[in-house]
Amino acid sequence: MSQSVALTATPAEGAPQTHDSHGAHGHCHVHHLTLGSLFFTTDHKGIARQYLYSSFFFLALGGLMAMLMRWQLGFPNQPIPFIGKFIPEPFVVDGVISPSFFNMLVTMHATIMIFLVVMPILIGCFGNFIIPLSVGAPDMAFPLLNEFSYYVWFLSAAIMFCSLFVHGGGPNSGWTSYAPLSAVEAYNATKQGQSLWCLGIFFNGLASIMGAVNYITTAINMRAPGMTMFRLPLSVWALLITSILLLLAIPVLSAAGALLWFDLNAGTSFFIASRGGDPVLWQHLFWFFGHPEVYILILPAMGLVSEIMPVFARKPIFGYKAMIIALVSIAFLGFIVWGHHMFISGMSLFASAVFSATTMVIAVPSAIKVFNWMGTIWGGSIRFKSPMLFALGFVFSFMVGGFTGIAMAATPVDIFVHHTYYIVAHFHYVLFGGKYLWHVRRHLLLVP
Amino acid sequence: MMVFAPSHLFAEMRTSNIWGLPDCVTDQGKDIDRLFIVITDLTVLVFIAVMVAMFTFLIKYRARRGIKAIYSHGNNKLEIWWTTIPALIFIAIVVYSNGMWGRIFDPALIPKDALNVEIVAEQFGFNIRYPGSDNVLGKSDDSLFSINNKFGLVMEDPANKQGFTTYNDLEIPVGRAIHLYLRSKDVIHAFFVPEFRLGQDMVPGRTISYMWFRTTRTGNFNICCNQLCGAGHYNMQSKLKVLSKEDFEKWYQSKLPATAQNNSSKNPIVLTSSAAAVPAKMAVAPN
Repeated sequence: MSQSVALTATPAEGAPQTHDSHGAHGHCHVHHLTLGSLFFTTDHKGIARQYLYSSFFFLALGGLMAMLMRWQLGFPNQPIPFIGKFIPEPFVVDGVISPSFFNMLVTMHATIMIFLVVMPILIGCFGNFIIPLSVGAPDMAFPLLNEFSYYVWFLSAAIMFCSLFVHGGGPNSGWTSYAPLSAVEAYNATKQGQSLWCLGIFFNGLASIMGAVNYITTAINMRAPGMTMFRLPLSVWALLITSILLLLAIPVLSAAGALLWFDLNAGTSFFIASRGGDPVLWQHLFWFFGHPEVYILILPAMGLVSEIMPVFARKPIFGYKAMIIALVSIAFLGFIVWGHHMFISGMSLFASAVFSATTMVIAVPSAIKVFNWMGTIWGGSIRFKSPMLFALGFVFSFMVGGFTGIAMAATPVDIFVHHTYYIVAHFHYVLFGGKYLWHVRRHLLLVP
Repeated sequence: MMVFAPSHLFAEMRTSNIWGLPDCVTDQGKDIDRLFIVITDLTVLVFIAVMVAMFTFLIKYRARRGIKAIYSHGNNKLEIWWTTIPALIFIAIVVYSNGMWGRIFDPALIPKDALNVEIVAEQFGFNIRYPGSDNVLGKSDDSLFSINNKFGLVMEDPANKQGFTTYNDLEIPVGRAIHLYLRSKDVIHAFFVPEFRLGQDMVPGRTISYMWFRTTRTGNFNICCNQLCGAGHYNMQSKLKVLSKEDFEKWYQSKLPATAQNNSSKNPIVLTSSAAAVPAKMAVAPN
């Protein structure tokens, strides 16, 4: 634990060291872990561990799905070695992945990785673990709500998992579930799976909202005396901003998921053009959530990098306040760029131009963060320990992701790179950097 | 295993430059490529600069016995510089790219003599409709879509008694502007031709009418659907032939039914059942 305390207690601009001693002598110790506390606990570190361990299962599942996809792409229509035998027809015919099963893999790989792996680990696990320790609070503001939020998340995960085994198979209209493909049974042939996807997303959203309320309250209200906002470690700032994004963006997705469920099951037509709805409305709702979501996934990782680098460069973070301003402006701008996912969707061409401009603007704070990280290692006394190597790897991979983003934010270029592997590569570079990090933090903090 | 193999592939095979963009065969495509290359060069340059700085710092400031880290909380002047300069660069890119966007889709710039072609996507193929020799596509209405009326044609419109349709077969003359009308019958599909630098979702309930292009050479290409549209998405593609003007005229005339050609030499095209997609209901009674 001593290592973790050293990390989370990195003082920003001479913050008092009170939470350091708190971390060592607080009431919640890792060695109190019992079998019972694995299943029910209100201790923030216990809940962090619950999120982590449950996510491992989905990490393996989502990773396996990615490997199945890569197998089909690398060796088209060849039988899958070994596990091909265990997947029943009609998903796999003679060991070969069927087209609709491939679509299902695409859909569930993304859904699982985003909602059941990256979010619970970066926010559910690290948020719970780090925030109370870093702000000097005895626990989260609402410990019981915290555990309840975990179980609602677990319910959503269970629903998602079950959707793989219902009649017709899992949802297969992509993680973006573009209507009307997702909204009409005749088009997707997986009404049950798609309905469960909507339910899973709905409950996942509920859990996120509960978590977000908890994080925001803790970070703002439960700080130790003397721990002003501008002494908070950047990881807490990042998690706070992420929680605000969650609170504002997730309800839109939950509502959209509910509307889609009604379209599928109750004969409504919010998104079905042939019955008077508008398919592009779904895209607006989805991406109004979807773009802040990108920052929800990446900001906690940026926060962690901003904390790891000073520790291993043995000097304070370069431009602490600039980093916070960058975080806040990313969060604000993140809500007015969603249309850049829709340049070729048939949306107004003028709106596309406006969204392109706001997207270019949001690249500025991201650039500021990279420059400040460079400033942090400048003149340092750098130790090349695993966390530092991972943080540097994050900068590399985030820069590749960010720079390709500039090309596709230019509307004319997006006309022909949209829907291609250029986009797939772009967001995997962005998110993979984030995923890198939990690896190292797990080693340092969480394996008892 | 062969069940899943694509039943048809028409596109040119790339034999060179497989690491770069495919060959560009439209006018606007050249502008788009230039923009893409400008942005790519710029970002690669900055990327290399930052990486060089990073590795220089990592080597120069590695932990060594007796040397302490410099104590610094940052530098406001630097912050202002590295906020302003990227911001100015991004504004320049926005002005450049959105200016081009405006030109590409300016309705006033669509040539008057552009050949109008309508494409209606369905699971899992492209229905294509050509106008008669007066270059007018008849009225259509999405509420009239049916198994027998794949274009939702309003049969009262006399313009609908001309022209012809094809299925997964778009043939166009080189050098002439083509004005596309993109629609979809069921789910969202996409019209994507990488060599033309064109991509556009085809949304049910809407007619996308701002797309036009002019090709610079002949060749065989593919229209691919690149918006996930269901189980048959992987195989949803259409052949696209860019023909010389003479070849196109020959093909265009050959699509006309014999009866129609006899009626009038000036305006010889009537709605035909030459394509499988055109149902009996839509066939027009001979005059």
